[in-house]
Amino acid sequence: MSTSWIRACGIDDIDDGEAFRLDTVPPVSVFRSGDEFFCLDDTCTHEDYSLADSWVEDCTVECPLHQAKFCLRTGAVLAQPATRPLATHEIKVEGTDIYVRIDREREEHREEEHREGAHHGAA
Amino acid sequence: MFDIADLVQPDKGLIDPSIYTDPEIYQAELANVFARSWLFLAHDSQLPKKGSFLQTYMAEDPVLVVRQRDGSVKAFLNQCRHRGMRICRADEGVAKAFTCSYHGWAYNIAGELVNVPMEDRAYHNEIDKSQWGPRQVPRIHNYKGFYFGTWDDEAPSFEEYLGDMAWYFDAMADRYDDGLELVPGATKWVIDANWKFAAEQFASDMYHVPISHSSGFVALFDDPEIRALAAGALAAPGRQFSGNGHGSGFGLRPDLVPDPAGPDFDAFLIERREEIYRRLGEQRALAVYGHNTVFPNFSWLATNNTMRVWHPRGPGRIEVWSWAYLPKNAPEEAKRASRLNTVRTFSPAGVFETDDGENWTEVQQVLRGHIARQTTFNAQMGLGHEQRDLDGMPGRTAGDMFTEMAGRGMYQRWADLMSGLSWQEIAELDKRRREQEEAKQS
Repeated sequence: MSTSWIRACGIDDIDDGEAFRLDTVPPVSVFRSGDEFFCLDDTCTHEDYSLADSWVEDCTVECPLHQAKFCLRTGAVLAQPATRPLATHEIKVEGTDIYVRIDREREEHREEEHREGAHHGAA
Repeated sequence: MFDIADLVQPDKGLIDPSIYTDPEIYQAELANVFARSWLFLAHDSQLPKKGSFLQTYMAEDPVLVVRQRDGSVKAFLNQCRHRGMRICRADEGVAKAFTCSYHGWAYNIAGELVNVPMEDRAYHNEIDKSQWGPRQVPRIHNYKGFYFGTWDDEAPSFEEYLGDMAWYFDAMADRYDDGLELVPGATKWVIDANWKFAAEQFASDMYHVPISHSSGFVALFDDPEIRALAAGALAAPGRQFSGNGHGSGFGLRPDLVPDPAGPDFDAFLIERREEIYRRLGEQRALAVYGHNTVFPNFSWLATNNTMRVWHPRGPGRIEVWSWAYLPKNAPEEAKRASRLNTVRTFSPAGVFETDDGENWTEVQQVLRGHIARQTTFNAQMGLGHEQRDLDGMPGRTAGDMFTEMAGRGMYQRWADLMSGLSWQEIAELDKRRREQEEAKQS
């Protein structure tokens, strides 16, 4: 699995409260809340729905189908019916370009930590 | 069973009142009139951004009208394909998706089924979601910011459907460079009367005004100038238009002001006078400012800035959805004056609205009578005095606003549709009728 930085989009491609989906497998999205950008898995962990088409506000994303809510900083679940967190990915802004790095091995490591009861922050 | 030709005879000005009461006729109207006509859905100003939506009805069918990502507008039945629950229960708002609150089938803003809860476990991944979106309104037309829809693939284009009524419609829709906006939120109420009483009156009836509304005029307008205007307007000549079932009627006003909305609105009209004349021509700007119906159930009154749909709710009930419409970007004091005029006159407790509702509901009560229901109504006012293109006003026109020509025109279109004639057959019939009228006039 590639762990190199890839250009996702430009900062002007995403308005505040919107998201930009990348057709990776599985897909990830870049979310904009205010002037901050976040990269997380795109698919709600409750039912199959693209969070790029969801409500982004105050560094959270809320799925419009059943109102599951996630922290964009940590991926933690903030509201049911979702119970599993979203995977987060590294992101950086250089000039007007947004780069992301999708490292699924790192995620698996994090999942293990999660299972072992390691602390995950919530917003 | 009923025979439409016995019930309505527009050429003789005769109406059998069972058309206002018979449940069987009502069911036939839903199929032959409402499901085949162009119906008003929404105005541009009600759907300001992508995902903006509102609930409305096409007759009794609930529909969602939604602004798409590309700026276009789609409408679809507000009915989940699983067990028929309303997909969306909010009146209006901004949505990213619509989730049925019964079992959770979810649709995107284009009306495609995008999620079925437990698709793998309960449906074994065997459901073809692409086949189970809500019924789409197949044809939607944006006419100068007014969205109309029809279920009927055979219906003529919206412009053809509007016909000569476009000239009269434009006197409202095209009046200002900046266009119109609706005051947010529909005002809704229910009255126990058949929808045709209301639609017909707004198409065709200035005759009731000096009688039904006389006490209202006295109570509302202290300003002797306005009262003189009202009296003068009714004494002065007027015109009426009838075509394709639509109708418009108005007095020939000497000036844009004074307007019933009062001095603050007058000031705005004086400032915009040149703009209005440029857009409409002076004659149309002054004259075409009265009562109107686009067949079957979309009506407005220019003098009161009120617009409404008469949603039918059975033969004896209407759900009125009404809006105040305003010139966009008008000064706040002008808008306020206009809104107040609407609220005072045509709103659930408006002085003139309640006069009208009283008449319609009373007639409906009378028609509970077995004998009353079989007693023919007279709609003969002005019969035989129709003209065409009078003073350059397009279509079938009458040289007075006191006529029932547009009412007869509405019942003609209603009868043609109710008889099950195809749109093609109706067009041919109308062409022959027009030729006869033209031959008679020349």
